[in-house]
Amino acid sequence: MSLVEVRNVHKVYKRDSFEVPVLNGITLDVPEGDFLALMGPSGSGKTTLLNLLAGIDRPTTGQILVDGKEISRFSETALASWRARHIGFIFQMYNLLPVLNAFENVELPLLLTKLSKKERREHVETALKIVGLADRMKHYPRQLSGGQEQRVAIARAIVTDPTILVADEPTGDLDAKNAADTLDLLQRLNGDFKKTIIMVTHDPKAASCAKHTLHLEKGMITDLTTGAAAATA
Amino acid sequence: MKYFKLIRRNLFRNRLRALLTLTLIAAIFFFVATMLSILQLFDRYEDQGQGANRIVVQSGISLANLLPYAYEAKIRAIPGVVDVCKMQWIGAYYKEKKNFFANFAVDHDRMGTVFDDYKIDPKQLHDFEADRQGCIVGQELVQRFQWKIGDRITLKRQIFSYDPELTIRGIYTHPINRSALFYHMDYHQGMLNNFGQVGTFWAKIKDPSKMAAVSQEIDAMFKNSDSPTETVTEKQFQAQFMAMMGNIKLLFGSICTCAVFMVILLAAITMSMSARERVTEIAVLKAIGFGQRLVMTLMLTEFALLTLGGGILGVFGAKIIYTFVPMGELTRGFLVGFTVFPTTMGICLAASVLVGLLAGGWPALNATRLSVVNGLRRVV
Repeated sequence: MSLVEVRNVHKVYKRDSFEVPVLNGITLDVPEGDFLALMGPSGSGKTTLLNLLAGIDRPTTGQILVDGKEISRFSETALASWRARHIGFIFQMYNLLPVLNAFENVELPLLLTKLSKKERREHVETALKIVGLADRMKHYPRQLSGGQEQRVAIARAIVTDPTILVADEPTGDLDAKNAADTLDLLQRLNGDFKKTIIMVTHDPKAASCAKHTLHLEKGMITDLTTGAAAATA
Repeated sequence: MKYFKLIRRNLFRNRLRALLTLTLIAAIFFFVATMLSILQLFDRYEDQGQGANRIVVQSGISLANLLPYAYEAKIRAIPGVVDVCKMQWIGAYYKEKKNFFANFAVDHDRMGTVFDDYKIDPKQLHDFEADRQGCIVGQELVQRFQWKIGDRITLKRQIFSYDPELTIRGIYTHPINRSALFYHMDYHQGMLNNFGQVGTFWAKIKDPSKMAAVSQEIDAMFKNSDSPTETVTEKQFQAQFMAMMGNIKLLFGSICTCAVFMVILLAAITMSMSARERVTEIAVLKAIGFGQRLVMTLMLTEFALLTLGGGILGVFGAKIIYTFVPMGELTRGFLVGFTVFPTTMGICLAASVLVGLLAGGWPALNATRLSVVNGLRRVV
């Protein structure tokens, strides 16, 4: 059984009196431990699909099952609680809270758990160690480089040991070196820690790091490629 | 408590804005605390002597009209009357007009029974009774003028034709009236060639439930005389003076309500700005699993803490300032005994929390209701 099952999903946005179809009957399976890249031109629906898989948006019709549970039927409260346990988010603009330092930003998702302060500290330190920022714990986002901010964001995403990591253009705002470091980190998380990763990207180089690449166009899957072939597909 | 750090950091994320908002709220609650305390002071004036079972016999024509001495014996003879004490408002001041305070001539030998809620050392009371030009003063006057027992003082006339020359023989304590001076009625009458008229008779009634009946009996007794009376309870007597100022309570109450309404609107503007600039952060919090209710609670706690902080600064600021500012002196005796009362402080602090919740409620609800996708889209 796949970890993520998408069954004939349609998504239509309403803009005033207009209806804009974004996804048109997507069916997809993502096995556990996969690293899937979603590619396609702007407006192809890749971010919308990522949002649906992450449980921050709902399909207009169709089913999305994660680990056998149909998340599209969850209430808002249940969905929030589910996201806290199963999803780790990595955003293009990092989206760290500027008022909190690196340690506190990473600790945020753990505040929703029943872990003690000591346990939270241990988890945060481990996560920051994995991303190579153990020495930057007390630094605020404004005191970090873009690459470091993204690594803090990745630490925040992995600190709860989620089922799936979703990344929306994680290298989109980084220079080549930091982008490479971030992709390397994601590959390590997938390879060493067996994390299932779903990543939206425009960058063929980034997509080449994934195990599979899904191409979308006009809300439909046009191609599914494997490994390095993705970059040239 | 684990969220407190997040709340605290957000509270001061824009220090200048937070400081200005705090100052604004503090200033308004300083003002509201002042107004409410004045109202409460008036209430206390009205409540003065409550439970002391006293009624006041005054002229039925006007308070400025005097009553004949002869009434005293007739009032005393009414069943249920324990004792009667004549009292005359003198209206003099000490040295300068700004040193105005309440001063009365009274029956020195009746004070102990009729005004038994005024506590005084027995020896001092004896000394006061033994000295025709002796007087007793409240603790607040002693502090205000640095008086001590044995001091000779001269009050300046305003109504009557003499300057009372007195010696301080005692210092009384009273829960409300702490700044009055009492001297001998004999001395007062003597200086006026014993003209035998007085402003009020204060009667102590044995049974409080009979106060109304005794009052009616007194007024009935003098109904057809040259000097008809109007007998009231002490609370009603004090309320007369408040009524002379018009509906000042309504005026002050309305001003306070306007001030609180104004602070709600001003706080709402600040909080709307704060909530709007955090839409993406709120979306991120919701994305990582913070429920809408939790985010709303965090924001409202933050807003309520901000306004409570302003309230605390304003109210305690007023409390401290009015401890050092002699309001009685500045208002020429109008606000004698003025302070920020604990009840007022409680009301203001509760109101400040309410301001935070009301002003922040709508912006917080709007910000937290926005979907995660739309919230993230605002910047990304």
